Amino acid sequence: MSNKREREKRREERLQAEAKVDSGDRRTKLLQWAAGAVFLAIVAVVVLIVVNSGSEGGDAENLQGASEVDALVGNVPQNGMTLGKPSAKVELIEYGDLQCPACKAFADEVLPQVIENRVDSGEAKITFHNFAFLGEQSAPAGAAALAAGEQGRGWNFLELFYRNQGTENSGYADDAFLKAVAEGAGVKDIAQWESDRESAKVTGEVQRTTAEAQRLGFEGTPSFAVEGPKTNGLELLGTPNGAEEIEEAIDAAG
Amino acid sequence: MNFPSEGTLRRAIAFVAALGVGVATYITIAESGGGAPACLAGGGGCATVANSSYSEIAGINVAILGIVGYLILLGTAFFANDAARFLGFAAALGGFGFSIYLTYLEIFTIEAICQWCVASAVLMTVLFLLNATRLIGYAGTTTSAAVPEQG
Repeated sequence: MSNKREREKRREERLQAEAKVDSGDRRTKLLQWAAGAVFLAIVAVVVLIVVNSGSEGGDAENLQGASEVDALVGNVPQNGMTLGKPSAKVELIEYGDLQCPACKAFADEVLPQVIENRVDSGEAKITFHNFAFLGEQSAPAGAAALAAGEQGRGWNFLELFYRNQGTENSGYADDAFLKAVAEGAGVKDIAQWESDRESAKVTGEVQRTTAEAQRLGFEGTPSFAVEGPKTNGLELLGTPNGAEEIEEAIDAAG
Repeated sequence: MNFPSEGTLRRAIAFVAALGVGVATYITIAESGGGAPACLAGGGGCATVANSSYSEIAGINVAILGIVGYLILLGTAFFANDAARFLGFAAALGGFGFSIYLTYLEIFTIEAICQWCVASAVLMTVLFLLNATRLIGYAGTTTSAAVPEQG
């Protein structure tokens, strides 16, 4: 009887010891996994930061998208900062800041549809006005676009700038970058462009349209307005929710 | 070393994760409420951060990823087993690492600080510490502590 009790006791002790070893093994394994996860997380964060610091746009020596820009606006008439046939009944006006990422998003995702559906057909024309408020380089970038517009390449400049836009206010939009964009946009007379972008006419126009955007009550970029035979002067659209909304406004205005 | 009881840790994790769900939900709603993105004139740091190209990853708003992360963390607080301990630790580690990356972006790339994002980063840091303590203190143990009460 006592033998049996002892055997049971020993068995229980053995099971307990095994469970302890088991739990210890599991614990060791889990902590090893955790250490591995910490290592992976550190590597991931470092890689993300390194990759990010090397992939900012705004690279004057490596401009992207010149052929896309040509395909989009190359065959559309331009006059100053207006894209489209001068005879178009409806004028869509964009107030933008070249440094603004949302304006880039509109240039990438919204305006191409509007240009293809409403500008190419001659129903509407689009005019870009500077609403330069984001930073020190906003106004000079806007002036550079207007100077390109003096040579009929304003929209090529805008579109190419947006496709190569760097991080807001990181200082990328310097003279070298602006010149590279102007050259990529097909501005023929760069010396003339250099003098135009510093001229009182061009810099004054940037200030004038920026003040106008504020006077109209726009609070951000891009903001749009539309004017046509069926509108009562300028009709403010604010920041529309997509190409369809802009196209509807154009249809309603014409 | 004296660890707080696992029940205490789980209650703390549930509480902080619930706060995190609230903060991330607020950011998601605030961002979606504005309709189309715009660069706001005179806007605060949040507008700049929310409108930057870094506010989305593969088309998914970072704040939505935050909600998912906090919900997972909240879920792990309701189970007292190794799977929950490890999943909680891994999710908090991922969230903590991601918060470091996002804070780096805010300071050095976007150059704007959004207080709500900072709040989320702080909560994620606390969750990481709590989950690390829980894993180190209780990995391999089998306790059957009660389901934590929601804070």
